[in-house]
Amino acid sequence: MIGRQWREAWRFLAFTMVVGFQAVAALVAMIGCVAMVVTLPLLPHVVRFARRLAAGERDRVGRFLATTIPPPPEGTSAGVAEVATNPHDRRDAQWLAFQGTVGLVAGSVAIASPAGLVQNLFIAAFWPFIPDAATTVDTPVESWAGAGVAVLIGVVYGLLGVFFVRPLARWWARTSAARLAPPKRTLTERLAEVTATRAAALEAHGAELRRIERNLHDGTQNRLVAVVMHLGMVERALTRNPAAALPMVATAQKAATDALAELREVVRAIYPPVLVDRGLTGAVASLVGHCAIPCTLDEHPIPRLPAAVEAAAYFVVAEGLTNAVKHSGADRITVGLRTENGALVVEITDNGHGGADQAHGSGLLGIRGRVAAFDGTTTIDSPPGGPTVLRVDIPAGP
Amino acid sequence: MRIVIAEDDALLREGLTHLLRAEGMEVTSAVDNPDDLLSALAADRPDVAVVDVRMPPTYRDEGLRAAVQARRQWPGLAVLVLSAHVEESYATDLLADGAGGVGYLLKERVGKVADFLDALERVAAGGTAMDPEVVGQLLVRRRADDPLQRLTPREREVLGLMAEGHSNATIGGLLVISDGAVHKHIGNIFTKLGLPTTDAGHRRVLAVLAYLKA
Repeated sequence: MIGRQWREAWRFLAFTMVVGFQAVAALVAMIGCVAMVVTLPLLPHVVRFARRLAAGERDRVGRFLATTIPPPPEGTSAGVAEVATNPHDRRDAQWLAFQGTVGLVAGSVAIASPAGLVQNLFIAAFWPFIPDAATTVDTPVESWAGAGVAVLIGVVYGLLGVFFVRPLARWWARTSAARLAPPKRTLTERLAEVTATRAAALEAHGAELRRIERNLHDGTQNRLVAVVMHLGMVERALTRNPAAALPMVATAQKAATDALAELREVVRAIYPPVLVDRGLTGAVASLVGHCAIPCTLDEHPIPRLPAAVEAAAYFVVAEGLTNAVKHSGADRITVGLRTENGALVVEITDNGHGGADQAHGSGLLGIRGRVAAFDGTTTIDSPPGGPTVLRVDIPAGP
Repeated sequence: MRIVIAEDDALLREGLTHLLRAEGMEVTSAVDNPDDLLSALAADRPDVAVVDVRMPPTYRDEGLRAAVQARRQWPGLAVLVLSAHVEESYATDLLADGAGGVGYLLKERVGKVADFLDALERVAAGGTAMDPEVVGQLLVRRRADDPLQRLTPREREVLGLMAEGHSNATIGGLLVISDGAVHKHIGNIFTKLGLPTTDAGHRRVLAVLAYLKA
């Protein structure tokens, strides 16, 4: 008996055809936009329509299968450049093509089954009044025997509907769910990426520890040994020849002062004290204030973040500003600091001549490495003629 | 000179007290947190407060905040802030009220006792004592078309010492040049930088620091 589940499957499949037509329209519009150069600016609108269509379908298919289909990561705008490089839009386009062909055919079964049943029964009943009457599979209906064949064909249409609509709807739902969800492969890729950045982070951390150890061991410690040694000499001299003690005291003092200066440098390189005192915003404001090119801070309220993240962001701003001052030829810099979807976003914009070369700029490489260690991303947009925008996203949330 | 000390490290607090008393100063109180500092200032009304930047409870910039608050509460109170590291923006905070009697030095400057006592006396008398490192931070971050480029190396030295808060006589003594020569250098500096000539003292320091920060 035709039950509620069948009706749901039928409705699902029938609507698949509607979405199929929309997919064809979107695909044709997309190809049209790209093919005719003048219409390229319209592409973002089409892409947004396609994204909405895919989102709606994720919802509909998810409801039918009683699961949730994860959407692709949000964030990129629908600008032409972003669309061209966004793998999720490419995947959406593939889905559109699939939906507009196979989806259209699968959906048409839902329409054809009741339509074929009704049409063939109608012809079987009224053939004497219809000139050149024929069944939907093109057998002529010119006698009651022919009408019997038409009834049979109609029944086959009906049975096809009864037996095929439900499995077909389920097959279609599962197939499109797989195409709408972010590809499984990316999880493997993600793991490879995380493993690689983790190894790089460990390597960088190790190098950092060795550098700190060397600075403290070869510099500060030796200076302090000199202090103790000279104080020992002073102690001896005071009993024998107090006048000789004075230059030794001066040497000890100089050595101790040098040790302190070196310690300050080491501390600053590990974790700048101003971060502890003033938080990230205050510390960056101080960097911005120090910048040799007029620089403004575009700040938004940000919560206290993990210390390592704050330190990384601080060094990114420091290195980014140094780079801009050295290479950009800019006379204005803006530093943006905000959080977006739980990630800390640092954006350094300068109005210089652009063309920043990330392959050669060691500063940019340093920033990239530092950010990658936190599983963050670094993007630089620096067309010839400028402006240059360096953007860094560091995940900071749980 | 009556002095209140606020420093949370016991060894440094004792040492500083000992050093100042040995030099004939009167240390009325030596405390280890910002709250006790404010009560000691209210009770003792000293000539100078010597304050560490990092203190309990959070070990951030409590000392600096307490110093700024104390100067608001008792206008004219001279404060000498000591820190293990100097940060130019902290100097800005201290100088923000425009009044004199401000010092901001690295802790280790205490070791050069004569220089330290000179700075302390300058601050107590309403003058300024900026750490050479603060002034150094201000002098390095300059743009290409900076008028500072037009200064001779000697004039840069004189400018740095002015920013640290030294008087003409001290500058002459430190650079081993005559008072007249110092005066001439200062005149040249103010002309080259386009600053209105200001009388010696705190206002001159403020003008120079304001110029360097702009």
